[in-house]
Amino acid sequence: MRAVPASPHLDVRNVMWLIAAMVFVVAPHLLRMPYWVGVFFLAIVAWRGWIAWAALHFPGRFVTTTLTIAAAIATFFTYNRIVGREAGVALLVVMSALKLLEMKTQREVTLSIYLGFFLVLTNFLFSQTIPLGIYMLVCVWIFIGTLVGFNRIGSSPTLAERMRPAGALLAQALPLMVAFFILFPRAAGPLWALPTDTRSATTGLSDSMTPGNISNLIKSDAIAFRVQFQGDRPAYSTLYWRGPVLTDFDGATWSLTRDESLGSTASYVRAQKPSRYVVTLEPHNKTWLFALDVPALVPPDARLLHDLELRVPNQRPVRERKRYEMTSYLDYRYGTSATRGALRESLRFNEARNPRTVALGRQWARESANPREVLQKAFQYFNREFTYTLDPPVLTSRDPYDEFLFETKQGFCEHYAGSFALAMRAAGIPARIVTGYQGGEINPLNNELVVRQADAHAWVEIWLPEQGWLRVDPTAAVSPLRIESGVNAALGPIGVLPSIIAADPIGLLAGIRDAWRAMNSQWDAWVVGYSMDRQRQLFSDLGFPGIDWRALGFWLMVATFVIGAAIGVGILIRERPRRDEPSLAAWNRFCAKLAAAGVAPRAPHEGPLDFLRRVESSRPVLATAAGDITRRYVEARYGAGATREELRELARRVREFRPA
Amino acid sequence: MFADLRQSISDWIFRASVPETPPVTLVQRRIFILPTRQGYTFAFTTLILLVASINYALSLGFILTFLLMSMAGVAMLHTWRNLAHLKLRPGRCDPVFAGETAHFGVTVETPSLTRFAIAVRRRDEEPVYADIVQPEIAAIALPAAASSRGVMRCGRLEIFTRYPVGLFHAWSYVDFNLQVIVYPRPDPAAGTPPAQSRSASEEGIPVAGDEEFHMLRSYRPGDPPKLIAWKALAREQGLLSKEFSAMASSELWIDFEEARSSNLEQRLSMLCHWVLTADRFGQSYGLRLPGVAIQPSRGDGHRTRCLEALALFEGASS
Repeated sequence: MRAVPASPHLDVRNVMWLIAAMVFVVAPHLLRMPYWVGVFFLAIVAWRGWIAWAALHFPGRFVTTTLTIAAAIATFFTYNRIVGREAGVALLVVMSALKLLEMKTQREVTLSIYLGFFLVLTNFLFSQTIPLGIYMLVCVWIFIGTLVGFNRIGSSPTLAERMRPAGALLAQALPLMVAFFILFPRAAGPLWALPTDTRSATTGLSDSMTPGNISNLIKSDAIAFRVQFQGDRPAYSTLYWRGPVLTDFDGATWSLTRDESLGSTASYVRAQKPSRYVVTLEPHNKTWLFALDVPALVPPDARLLHDLELRVPNQRPVRERKRYEMTSYLDYRYGTSATRGALRESLRFNEARNPRTVALGRQWARESANPREVLQKAFQYFNREFTYTLDPPVLTSRDPYDEFLFETKQGFCEHYAGSFALAMRAAGIPARIVTGYQGGEINPLNNELVVRQADAHAWVEIWLPEQGWLRVDPTAAVSPLRIESGVNAALGPIGVLPSIIAADPIGLLAGIRDAWRAMNSQWDAWVVGYSMDRQRQLFSDLGFPGIDWRALGFWLMVATFVIGAAIGVGILIRERPRRDEPSLAAWNRFCAKLAAAGVAPRAPHEGPLDFLRRVESSRPVLATAAGDITRRYVEARYGAGATREELRELARRVREFRPA
Repeated sequence: MFADLRQSISDWIFRASVPETPPVTLVQRRIFILPTRQGYTFAFTTLILLVASINYALSLGFILTFLLMSMAGVAMLHTWRNLAHLKLRPGRCDPVFAGETAHFGVTVETPSLTRFAIAVRRRDEEPVYADIVQPEIAAIALPAAASSRGVMRCGRLEIFTRYPVGLFHAWSYVDFNLQVIVYPRPDPAAGTPPAQSRSASEEGIPVAGDEEFHMLRSYRPGDPPKLIAWKALAREQGLLSKEFSAMASSELWIDFEEARSSNLEQRLSMLCHWVLTADRFGQSYGLRLPGVAIQPSRGDGHRTRCLEALALFEGASS
């Protein structure tokens, strides 16, 4: 028993626990923030720990106010802003340390712990991987354990006494959490505009192509999208994932045309070898979608432009994972009926720039009888003395394609595609650049094709009379391996992981890697990527198509009620009083029989032997039997204990005891 | 007045009933539960977490939010469970003198699981916390300043808990009609019982206040321990009791009329001091109050009877 004064001094061990939990939860942030944030945070927290440990005085209001203002100013000068993801989180981190510093009462402890939950959430702004998820779950566990410690009031529980109740709370919360996660209606988009730097980390193709910008992308291992084929997977060399189509050209940069008139798959002249698949697109903050060349059935929430560019319908960038079903024709012919006027955009180029490339194109045209010969000449030319490399020399002149074709002769897909298309236009053949991805990597465990930023590619489409738009890939002429089996094969292993796997003789590491990737893929698809689309998809697969938020809300209430009742019943069952120890149970039955026979009931303070004495004096007839039972009971309960047989014998004698 | 109104409303809602027959088991319908202020803050926190998760489309944020929400729901059951099925009995409520701290005792036992941070408090007083472990019986003593003579009632007790996470306050009321008898505050200035209080038939014996050591006599059962001649015992002279001259003869009457003061409480304080003094010296004494007369005797039981009479004295009828 303990009386607790109105404002208890915070228990040292509890404070240390809270500090440890805070450091754990902030640690991932400290690794990506400027050094001063980490130094500031750890210094303040160490100070608070020292105050608790040595029972020192707290710093005055002047000190804490000065530190707060200094931290805010330092944040502003580091990020040039106070809002936004990076700056906001940095501010939250330093302020949480200051909150700890002035934490004196139980109430402020609680607020600090709630602040800790916010810090957990801010970690998810940067990463939502499985390891981070587990790490943060442990952090939440420690926070709840700390809360349990502070609510023990006055006593400081052991590690187990903190973590077991906290673990029980979290474990019992799991079913309800899962129900909420699945059933809680997801919104289509953000409730308000996000700070601009929120998506700064997203990589992907841009809406223009200048020599050099795709090769930067190639160095990123980030996933662009995943594909699950229904039926056979097409040959690797045909996996051209069509993205933005770049028609406008200013001499160095190819960019999207401003003409966004819609096209139609009905204009395909030949359309064979359909391939059906589901794409799970990572958010890339752009409006286009990717499909195998060429898209056939356009999903309902997409539109197809006249240059066969697949777009989301309403200019809203893809900000969360998007899943769509596609069908594509791998063997096709389209655009045969295009008018000369419509093709004019695909012939335009700036005469003043890249004069030697233009001259080369014109020379091919003069020397050829038809466009086929021009193409042949071009491919022969690229086949001759060009090198495929990720690190081409930087092109500095105003005529980058001249510099590439006649001087450096080392380049990557955008160099080849850009110069090829320019030469075609010079030769009078309509040409444009298509950017997207080529190939991908098959995970053998779930047969899913993973397309990474490293698979980014650019190729050329030319238009020939009667044949329409044709895909030509000048990179294939330079490095056929790039198209046949991917960028890694063409360039040799890049990065650390592939080289480890290269030295893995029995394939164990590769197997682990595949399993890990398959798990991550499921995690990304079903947990991180559980969006409104996914939710609808899931319920439609379960046989509830077109489920809306009202239905979800209803089922959520049902689930809450059922799970809550189950947990409540479980707790009640555990709460049932323990059954009496057998000898005590027998003794109680014995006393009840005597009471029923008119002997004044045993008083709470009356020991068994005292009671026996009273029974002997009031009912001498019963003395022998009662004495026997009492002695057996006393021996079993207070003496050496009793074997199972002795207990059974005691129970039998009580049963046969007839006081009336 | 508002506080009174609130009190009577809460009395009506929670049906503050007549003294209950122990033991009281806190069954389901006796336990009330509401969120604490921290609980409301927590709800607000999860709301903000939810909005942030929606806005940033953070799936793990949703998981965090829903985990915390569900945890709060489970915590409500745990808090309730922490209080449920506790068995309460009235405990010791020893008499005190006015000015001292009285303790109202309650015992609590748990039928099964250990209960942490169980608090008991009187209305608007600071709570006393205890952990209750099976099979022990926790004795909780609630301190209360005994300011004035008479019967001090404990009133309704609130037994509550916020364990494990402080988001909910589960409570129950129990009223055992506990009471502590508060004796008058002894007044040392009153000195010794005046000589006049002796009965007239006792001429020739030493006057009151003559507290000199008179003799040693053999121990009689009932002699207070402070009269035992411990030194004699140490010298192996057997168990002897000291006898003082003031009590060598027999009877002392402590009389209300002898305590001269205009204030009733002051008079009772003086009488109280005399009772204690007479008791300390093993004197046989009687107490005479208007309408009450306790025949001379000695011993702890007698002293208690006299002090209770003083504590409960309602005032002269005159």
